[in-house]
Amino acid sequence: MATLICVLLRHNSRILKLPPYLSFLCIVIGVAWLLLLPLDNYSRRTYISENALLPGQVHTYFAGSDQNVFRGYKQEVDALEGKANLEVNDRLEEFFKAAGLKVARQHYEYKSAGETYSGENVYAILHAPRGDATEAIVLVGAWKNIEGELNRSGVALVLTLARYFKRWSLWSKDIIFLVTADSKAGPQAWVDAYHDTHQSPAIESLPLKSGALQGAVVIDYPFNHRFESLHIVYDGINGQLPNLDLLNTVVSIASGQMGIGVSLQQMWHHSDTYKDRLQTMLRGMLNQGLGHASGPHSSFIPYHVDAITLQPFGEGWQDEMAMGRVIESAFRSLNNLLEHLHQSFFFYLLMHAGRFVSIGTYLPSAMLVATNFTIMAIFLWVKSGSPQFSDTKVAATIEAEKASPLTVIRDGDANALVPEAALAVRERELFLSLAVVAASQFLGFIPLYIFNHTSKALLPVVFIAFSIANYLLPYLASDLLVRFFKPTTQQYQLIKTFSLLLLGMFLSSLATLNFSLAFLVGLLATPLTYIQPFPGRPLTTTLLSLLINLLAPPTVLLAGAYYWNLNVGNILQEAAFGWDVWGMNTQVVVWCVWWPAWLAGGILLYGKP
Amino acid sequence: MGIDRRKAGLFGAAAAIRLLLFTSFPGLPDLMTARVEISTPVTSFKRLQEGLFLYNHNVSPYDGGVYHQAPLLLPLFSLLPSSATYPAFTYLLYILVDLLSANALMKIADSGEAGSSKHYASPRKDKKWSSLAIAAAFLLNPFTIATCIGRPTSVFTTCAILHAISKAVVGSSFTSAFAISFAAYLSMYPILLFPPLVLLCYDRRPPSKQSESLTAFVLGNMVAVGGSIYSLLHMSSLITGSWEFLPSTYGVQLLLPDLTPNVGLWWYFFIEMFDSFRSFFLGVFWLHLSSYVGGLTIRVRRQPLFVLTIILGIFAIFKPYPSISDTSLFLAMLSLYKHIFPLMRYTFLVSSTVLYATLLGPAFYYLWIYAGSGNANFFYAITLVWSLGLSLLVSDSLYAVLRDEWEVERPEMKGKEIRQI
Repeated sequence: MATLICVLLRHNSRILKLPPYLSFLCIVIGVAWLLLLPLDNYSRRTYISENALLPGQVHTYFAGSDQNVFRGYKQEVDALEGKANLEVNDRLEEFFKAAGLKVARQHYEYKSAGETYSGENVYAILHAPRGDATEAIVLVGAWKNIEGELNRSGVALVLTLARYFKRWSLWSKDIIFLVTADSKAGPQAWVDAYHDTHQSPAIESLPLKSGALQGAVVIDYPFNHRFESLHIVYDGINGQLPNLDLLNTVVSIASGQMGIGVSLQQMWHHSDTYKDRLQTMLRGMLNQGLGHASGPHSSFIPYHVDAITLQPFGEGWQDEMAMGRVIESAFRSLNNLLEHLHQSFFFYLLMHAGRFVSIGTYLPSAMLVATNFTIMAIFLWVKSGSPQFSDTKVAATIEAEKASPLTVIRDGDANALVPEAALAVRERELFLSLAVVAASQFLGFIPLYIFNHTSKALLPVVFIAFSIANYLLPYLASDLLVRFFKPTTQQYQLIKTFSLLLLGMFLSSLATLNFSLAFLVGLLATPLTYIQPFPGRPLTTTLLSLLINLLAPPTVLLAGAYYWNLNVGNILQEAAFGWDVWGMNTQVVVWCVWWPAWLAGGILLYGKP
Repeated sequence: MGIDRRKAGLFGAAAAIRLLLFTSFPGLPDLMTARVEISTPVTSFKRLQEGLFLYNHNVSPYDGGVYHQAPLLLPLFSLLPSSATYPAFTYLLYILVDLLSANALMKIADSGEAGSSKHYASPRKDKKWSSLAIAAAFLLNPFTIATCIGRPTSVFTTCAILHAISKAVVGSSFTSAFAISFAAYLSMYPILLFPPLVLLCYDRRPPSKQSESLTAFVLGNMVAVGGSIYSLLHMSSLITGSWEFLPSTYGVQLLLPDLTPNVGLWWYFFIEMFDSFRSFFLGVFWLHLSSYVGGLTIRVRRQPLFVLTIILGIFAIFKPYPSISDTSLFLAMLSLYKHIFPLMRYTFLVSSTVLYATLLGPAFYYLWIYAGSGNANFFYAITLVWSLGLSLLVSDSLYAVLRDEWEVERPEMKGKEIRQI
């Protein structure tokens, strides 16, 4: 039976024609699946899983005379604007000490792309009156927010809240108030040092520590006036997300208890229509896929500390005290936690502050896109092993059968006459194809190294040089291959098999870690499924070469930079910074997963079997 | 001379790759050492350092309950400069051990035992890889390289096993017996290789010993193995000053007190198991592992080298603390059997399964341990897939060899489908 099926599969020309359509179907379904997600039937309303959180169940007392304290601190912060980091920290240390907290400082220095990023973090610990210093929550206010503006109201609010929290005796977890020098390097240095994974001596160890971090909330409030609603930023490094419960808690406190609107992913006006939901989801996916830090909270997430950034925005009638009350209430909820946040989802796509899809619902779309490569790889493997048939001679099979000796296959009562040649498996010449695929994988390390180790000034030049080399490389490599090894059709098929197999494998593994990146790369690489040498059809070859060059990693980077109006040099500098400081892995995926597959595709396209 | 130059080139390249990885990525050796796929409680380099520290401070290395490896490794490593200050010496030692293993593998390949043993010559025996290609497949295998970078002590066992086999194929039974005793001394389970190994020695014994009967030959070898193991153990007791190393080394292998995750199947079972059943299932698991030896040795009597290969594959799946180093040894031995590859049915499936598991394993381990968004079942599911892939490979290669033998007995059935009646 097995042989019969095998023969059928291998030599039935109809079944052999099926896989390309099947893999195309996979792509179409994968994309359509994603587009269905914002509909009411496929997404769910968010809900609080962890009952201990009890969001919005407490009365908040942050009001009244504390507003005067806040104004006082704000004036002090304004007075410190433009002063040196050390001077600022001296003053902040005084304030924390005056509130009766233990204060410590940490100096750090990172080097990336020829630039030095240094500064000093200052933090204060409020020891829990009812706790044993085994757990802590962090309130962060970066001195400069992610855009580089002075976080004037944010830092003032942190100082006010430190003073205010100190008065309460109900804390069962330590509270750490952290003021970092900037929003990118500072939080990373602090979290690394808190978990003793920092690179000393460039980054100092923390002189003062508390217990295991249970959560972190960042205030990013750079302006003076009142605000309308709250923007929550939740993306972590490498696409990791905080537990959905933390986000739900803040959403329910802000909108339920305080009556402040909440928005996500810079969707300032969300009307909860299909279009807006889709846009929110796609922006979320793009942020997740890029894997960069979107705020000071991002650095906490890799350490399994759930964290979010709260950014007030717009012109409205909510004042800084309302913001303070949101944070007070959120901290009261976190204070209730009996164990680490674990009940709710870690893998989700949000399309509205109150709607999400969980991994079980959305994962199939990326997996289908990745599967399309695997299907094609299996198909080509079978095809490369089957004896060469001339597909056009279907009508002449009887003739062909006469020419070759027949053999009888018996299966139970059934007999079948099959040409003997059909049973044989063609010997596959693996070596050359394996070597080509291995070489293109290896070549991927070169751009990875170059772009992470070039100084800032040279990055644009290097990028241009690399792009030109990149467009010529497939052609040259293919030409060399033809000249020295004269690959056969089978060898080309095998190159494609291995390259697609690897791509499918990498992407399906990646989909479990960073869904969005796997999906985006998979989508951009879909043409590679159908690339093969087209000897004697120069027009097709030219059109396809245009297409794959349009979808080459450097072109996509350029297009992205053009669309969002960014400087390529800055993007590359940020990427190098992410690699050196945050431990961002997006580059590895681009240069060691996507680019080698693209290169193999290019080699195939210009091949002459 | 041409061959030698190519061999030197290959060995040089393999050593260069390893040195490059060791030196150009300073964080890599420690990263690999911490990987559960490479380091198990009974082979970990980190634990060796701990044992070494205690040993150098005249404390019994087994006191901390961390070190579970053979005592004789300690004087060897304390002769080397400390790996913390001069890591280069350790690197060179491990590279050398890999090259010695490859050298032994080449000798096995050169003997042609895989294609034609004393009692059986495969009709496909001409289709084989050169010994150089086989050594290259071993030395350039990413699993072997990763193992070398992670520096577990299992590489010494691998080297000893390969030497035992390479001595057996030239018929020097006493050297082979000593090598297998050394392997068994280091990690105990290789003693199960003794029956096929002694048969291999017997088949390949030199003309001067042709008259010896099988029983006498086996007895002689048993005495040799027993004697060498005893002297190794005695030496160990002299070094550590007592016999307390026995429960800490072989006891740990037998009773599985350390349930650190690894690529094998034991840890999860024994985490889940109620204590009252523990000893029963320990017995069952060990019985299962050792039961293959007798059956396979008798069934594939005509090809003892293949029995060794298959048993090494079974070890890589079913032993208490397996790692990818066992897999790399199995794959290296399997590459001697290129002539049966065309008879195998699931090569593509197996290689895809193993590759998928290789990628998904670290990903799921990361989700479980670091990201905290997964749990132990994630990693265990992947080790199941990994073991499934390997057991498919083992059973498929066994099928291919049996089919190869069968086609010699029944030439008329060549190329036809077989069916169970």
